[in-house]
Amino acid sequence: MGSKVFEGVKVAEFAWAIVGPCSSRYLADHGATVVKIESHNRLDTLRATSPYSGNVPHVDGSMCYGRYNANKYCVSIDLNHPNGQKLALKLIMWADIVTESFSPDVMRKWGLDYDSVRKLKPDIIYLSSSMQGRGGPHASYAGYGQNACPLCGFSEVSGWQDRIPAAPHGAYTDFICPRFNATALIAALDYRRRSGKGQWLEQSQFETALHFFSPPVMDYMVNGRIMHRQGNRLFSAAPHGVFPCQGDDSWVAITVFTDEDWQALCNATGNPEWTKKTEFSTLAQRKQNEDELERLVTSWTMNRTAYQVESILQSAGVAANIVEKSSDVYDDAQLKCRDYFVRLPHPVMGKQAFEPQAGFILSKTPREVTRPAPCLGEHNQYVFTELLGMSDDEVADHIIDGSITTELGGVFKANM
Amino acid sequence: MSGVTEKDLALSPYRVLDLTEGGCMLGAKMLADLGADVIKIEPPRGSPSRIAPFYKDIQEPEKSLFWFAYNVNKRGVTLDIKRAEGQELFRKLVKTADIVIESFEPGYMKQLGLEYDALRKIKPAIIMTSITYFGQNGPKANFKGSELTAWASSGYLNACGNYDRAPTWISFPQAGLFGGAEAAVGTMTALWHRHDTNEGQLVDVSIQECMMSPTFNVLQMWDVNKVEFKRVGGYMYVPSTGVHQPIYFNCRDGYVMILVQGGNEPFVSSSARLVKWMDEEGMASDWFKKLDWRVDYNAATMGQHLADSVGEEVQKFTLTRSKDELYKEGAIKRRILIAPVSTTRDICEDIQLQFRGYWVKLAHPELGEALKYCGPFIRMSETPLQYRRRAPLIGEHNNEIYGSELGISKDMLAAFKQKGII
Repeated sequence: MGSKVFEGVKVAEFAWAIVGPCSSRYLADHGATVVKIESHNRLDTLRATSPYSGNVPHVDGSMCYGRYNANKYCVSIDLNHPNGQKLALKLIMWADIVTESFSPDVMRKWGLDYDSVRKLKPDIIYLSSSMQGRGGPHASYAGYGQNACPLCGFSEVSGWQDRIPAAPHGAYTDFICPRFNATALIAALDYRRRSGKGQWLEQSQFETALHFFSPPVMDYMVNGRIMHRQGNRLFSAAPHGVFPCQGDDSWVAITVFTDEDWQALCNATGNPEWTKKTEFSTLAQRKQNEDELERLVTSWTMNRTAYQVESILQSAGVAANIVEKSSDVYDDAQLKCRDYFVRLPHPVMGKQAFEPQAGFILSKTPREVTRPAPCLGEHNQYVFTELLGMSDDEVADHIIDGSITTELGGVFKANM
Repeated sequence: MSGVTEKDLALSPYRVLDLTEGGCMLGAKMLADLGADVIKIEPPRGSPSRIAPFYKDIQEPEKSLFWFAYNVNKRGVTLDIKRAEGQELFRKLVKTADIVIESFEPGYMKQLGLEYDALRKIKPAIIMTSITYFGQNGPKANFKGSELTAWASSGYLNACGNYDRAPTWISFPQAGLFGGAEAAVGTMTALWHRHDTNEGQLVDVSIQECMMSPTFNVLQMWDVNKVEFKRVGGYMYVPSTGVHQPIYFNCRDGYVMILVQGGNEPFVSSSARLVKWMDEEGMASDWFKKLDWRVDYNAATMGQHLADSVGEEVQKFTLTRSKDELYKEGAIKRRILIAPVSTTRDICEDIQLQFRGYWVKLAHPELGEALKYCGPFIRMSETPLQYRRRAPLIGEHNNEIYGSELGISKDMLAAFKQKGII
């Protein structure tokens, strides 16, 4: 096996929460050195988000933070301190890539914005990510992925028509954007390799996430049609839904596209009377009689466990999967086979299951999760002396003047 | 739109052969937007991904808006890779390419003799990216899958929807798009590896794994503290107490999301500003005005009854306002954590997107008009993404690519066409 793909690629990460950190995680999973710049005075919001190991809130105890930051280093710098800004600039001079998600004025105030940095380091690749982009009437719009999800239209089309939208859980669009960012960052590295030029990548998460919704948007532009939520139905399939099974809150997802699939389902269920009804024989007919169809499929699934239904239908070549709960996911044989979860010891949390960010495996240079998420400021010594070549005395000076932070301002408090 | 520009393109040296279908087509489109020469290969009678919605609802393959959206910037050829002569032609294309992306079921390319091990013999540095629901190998690799079952397999479907009904997905399929976007990252990673090693490889994308990422902290709740998250779509669920706080509200013409929360900043201040606004409009009850957002409306200690009462109080107010008022006055002016629940119309009329010049028009001479597209997915200062061409018609570049570029004679092409190879 060769060396790691991004060995030698260095990232200074000022971005926090999800979008920026997930973007750089792809690089970290393949050998890049990613240093997170955090501070005891302003915690990454994920450090204040549960679950906590042992249910005890602790600044280094959140596996929500842990999920997104394995394979990274962490330093703690007070960016409001002039000497902290100098230290941050040293890190930027060391780096190939900078990521940040502050509001536009903040990095400028610190002298760390793209225009300031490029004068000192013209080939820097600098990613700025915000909810609605720089400039414009809503540039200042503050929010989380939870806001972007409804803003981008995903909430309106989730759930049932007779209810208010059942928004997709969590900060949905935060998981769309990193894939675009990582692609663009590597493309920028590639361009820099050819041209020697760095550049600024400016992202509006709103604009990026809409690429997961562009056909319905065009449907309105061209045809004036507004898309509405449709439960689990899809125009090109029937049955296409989530059906109840034996057990508490136990479900199975089933998809039947073609008439061939339908015949396979009929055979797999043992051809009960209802499967022979002529009003189900073609897709068009199944769509037309979908309420009835779903009722009858339910009558078959509800007397079986989700695993039984999955297994009966899969043996017949029909797409079906139990609706996996979290506990099922950790037991999922496929994920185990791909070594998806990696249990690593963490100084505060004990052994925890970390995940790769990359949902892909390269045959010659596979993803690796080798280190747990960092504790706050864990790598101050390593980063400043080993990576930046500062002396112990210099580092000590920064600790004494407070520009390297070492203690929380008050009692640690979790958000939820 | 215009092909002539002073700016470079980030990926102009690279050629990609795109055999994907459905949402997976997004992956090669991302590379095409960044400047790669992407050739979309579809079956002679047109791709099965030329699906609804359709231009003016005319159900014809050349009118598929879905196809338009995810094949911008690509050129297109037809090719029957199931037949020997088609496979030969494909191999010729591979010799000119850097990357192949495909989304067939595992083993299908091998049946055709076009799997990675076969292709690297013709072109050692080729990168092959395969997108499947579960990956190329493993106990579930040969499972039949769909966009919906992929959601089910990820743990995310279970976390979405109303608690008293079946879990629900997003009505516009997302799983294939995740697979496609992930393929773009994987392909770029392999490309970077190739620079120093001149070594290609196989990129094995699992849609199941991609769909796990939006679970946020739901999986960890189980692994760390053995708490099974219970879906409560439209609410904020507090695992430690089981309380669900309403955050989606009816308004005069639709819905808004308001992060009505307490405990910590920035929620406490945001909620206080909401109360102030409601009070100014004479719509805040006394008890509501007296509520201490830091102490009383604290997720760790509060009960369901209070959450419901607050929800009702807020909704009484939101029902008197339009979505636009709540967004512009509430979110932008008063800095309350409000988001509009946008419909596709709201998105198309959004003033921020317009201000930033987001929408890009591309000419469709066959339709006699230009259509508006979602603009660049990111703004790059040195290599801005460019919209150079609309999605290809069926076989639009057969002559250009097979004839002019591969040097296949007109007679041969005519014969291929007659036999249905192209």
